[in-house]
Amino acid sequence: MKSQPALKLLLGTYIFVFLAYLFGPLIIMSITAFNSAEFPAVTPWECFSWRWFAEGKVTYDGQRLAGLLADSKLHEGILTSLHIALGVVALSVPIGMAAAIVLTQVNSKIRTFFYSVAIMPVLFPGVVIGISTVVLWDRIASMTGGGAMADVGRNGVFLTILAQTCFISTYCFLIFVARMQRFDKTQEEAALDLGASQTQVFFKILMPYLMPAIASSAVIAFLYSFENYNTTVFSILSDQTLTTVIASKVRLGISPAISALALVIIAITLTAAISYEVLKRRAESRLAKIKQTQLHQAMPSDRLMKNQKTSFKLPKSMFVILLVCFGVVAGGNYLVSNNLYGEQCIVAADEAKKSNFADQLKLLQQNVETEGATTPPSDPTTGSQGFNNIFGDPNLFKNFGGFDTDAKK
Amino acid sequence: MQKFFAKNGPIISTYFLISIGFWIIFLIIIPQLYMLDLSFRPNLPPLLRGGEEDVYTLTHYKHFLFGSETSKDAYNYVDLKVFFTTLATAVVITVLSLCFCYPIAFYIAKIAEHKTARLLIVSLIVPFWINELLRAFALRILFAGEGVINNALINAGLMDNAINFIGQDVALFTGLTYAYLLLMMFPLYNSLESLDTNQLEAAKDLGSSTLRTHWRIVIPHAKAGIASGSTMVFMLTAGALATPVVLSSPNTFWFTQLIYQWFNMNDNWSRGAAYSVLLLLVSVIFVLLMMKLFRVKVGEIVK
Repeated sequence: MKSQPALKLLLGTYIFVFLAYLFGPLIIMSITAFNSAEFPAVTPWECFSWRWFAEGKVTYDGQRLAGLLADSKLHEGILTSLHIALGVVALSVPIGMAAAIVLTQVNSKIRTFFYSVAIMPVLFPGVVIGISTVVLWDRIASMTGGGAMADVGRNGVFLTILAQTCFISTYCFLIFVARMQRFDKTQEEAALDLGASQTQVFFKILMPYLMPAIASSAVIAFLYSFENYNTTVFSILSDQTLTTVIASKVRLGISPAISALALVIIAITLTAAISYEVLKRRAESRLAKIKQTQLHQAMPSDRLMKNQKTSFKLPKSMFVILLVCFGVVAGGNYLVSNNLYGEQCIVAADEAKKSNFADQLKLLQQNVETEGATTPPSDPTTGSQGFNNIFGDPNLFKNFGGFDTDAKK
Repeated sequence: MQKFFAKNGPIISTYFLISIGFWIIFLIIIPQLYMLDLSFRPNLPPLLRGGEEDVYTLTHYKHFLFGSETSKDAYNYVDLKVFFTTLATAVVITVLSLCFCYPIAFYIAKIAEHKTARLLIVSLIVPFWINELLRAFALRILFAGEGVINNALINAGLMDNAINFIGQDVALFTGLTYAYLLLMMFPLYNSLESLDTNQLEAAKDLGSSTLRTHWRIVIPHAKAGIASGSTMVFMLTAGALATPVVLSSPNTFWFTQLIYQWFNMNDNWSRGAAYSVLLLLVSVIFVLLMMKLFRVKVGEIVK
């Protein structure tokens, strides 16, 4: 399809703006993770530091802001999230698989109904799933009185696993359904004819065929569980997961430690996405090569063998990488040349803040002391004299250097 | 049933039946039914449950409509306002997401070269996988009183005082659009990709204008994707909790926050359940509406 150059330019601009809208906030957040100031900001830039990834900081007024390594609540939250995610994977993958296989075996009337029921949880608001699970299990716990059942029914981790499994099973189910659509049933029949039992058919034929779907649904289930908030916040009760820890931190006040955490998560995501893409590309090119050689073998004529010229082509992504490198170098250069990096800078900034804080305290105390005494009202006519004093201060021109005749020599 | 056992063998059949039964009955149906039941019961301390006072009542739904008995207003303006603001905002955000995503989805599906298209898709997937809370936090850094935007504008000399983005809900609405935009993109892209490019060329050869081609050919073809994306965005926006927690101002409530408050802070579980039932009801109505409007089946909405 041809399109006019003006339209193309408009579309290009639009795509750029769209991507900037998607990535801009994330990039800015990542930058704030390296600013040593206790409020996540880009301007006023204090110092470049890794402190939010490590120990954090105790502010001049005694407030403790924990960095990633020092935050025990965060570590507990991550551990709980991991437990929950593993539990959800262990439940929802088998459930999704069973439901998808049975879907292929029932007649078409039941199939439509069954499919509708199975995808319902995705259409429920997450909040509702969390509440309904808690409400039901609280009832079960109180009906059985005390004892083990009551403990289970009021265990936040257990409830969260159940609540998340409710809708994550549907995502797994959909992945398995897509894979099952391409399953060749004659394989099963052949195995049965050759004397295999049904259990053998399941483990030797169906399971190996579904292996890719098992792997990808496990990954998807894990990710959905790990990042879920809406359902978890209700079903977790008194425990804490990663997401509820983050939410309570954000509610108390925003700290660059959260930016640092976000940056770690973004880095993991990016690595996963890029490696997935590279693997896919490699598999595709291998497939293409196999096809080429097959074609060549089928028709032994040199005409069909493409001359693979090894002309060096610069991929477009090179420019992006170069741009990023340039940005990093320029930023680093700026930081070093303005002395905005390293221990000295951090110590100096903290000292400045401390002395600023001390000054303010002193001023406050003075005000309190002089409150009783009659403060002389400042005469408006003395204002100009004050200016004279400022200009009369010789220290002000010390660093100016413009009129310094020595500098010319 | 016997055929089922004969086909799968006893072990596998048992596994199938137990896992599917557990899921459908214990995780999907019973919790929702019990929540519905609880929403019609008064809020009682545990000891009184099942006693004489534990009768069916409409008190929570009445409270939603008319407010507490002691208040003078004819209707419960506070809760009703939150409810309808949430719904109206969710609809607006759904429409906006559709408008924002349509050109890009069309570009990736039909115009871009294979390589560019895949690069774009990967770069769209990456922000999608970053936690909703953290994305809201990123916007919080931008929109805070001493945030990046305010600082930049003041430093550039464009204004003197900081704009209260959070107090005026700019941050909340931007955040909600930001959070669920991509859920419109992927269904839309999938449905546009299956459109035969020959149809577009034929329309052009026959003298159709670009707009007309889109209106008569592309959009009708993409209706399943539009229905699916709209449903997803609407449901998730109306049921969002993470983004409002981070970005809403102290005086604005999202309906889910109201539920949270009844449930966790006021300890009135049955009223929280009643409000959740309302949210669920709205979601179901919206899905039915979409199915009717676009003439698609449930199976086409969730893929």
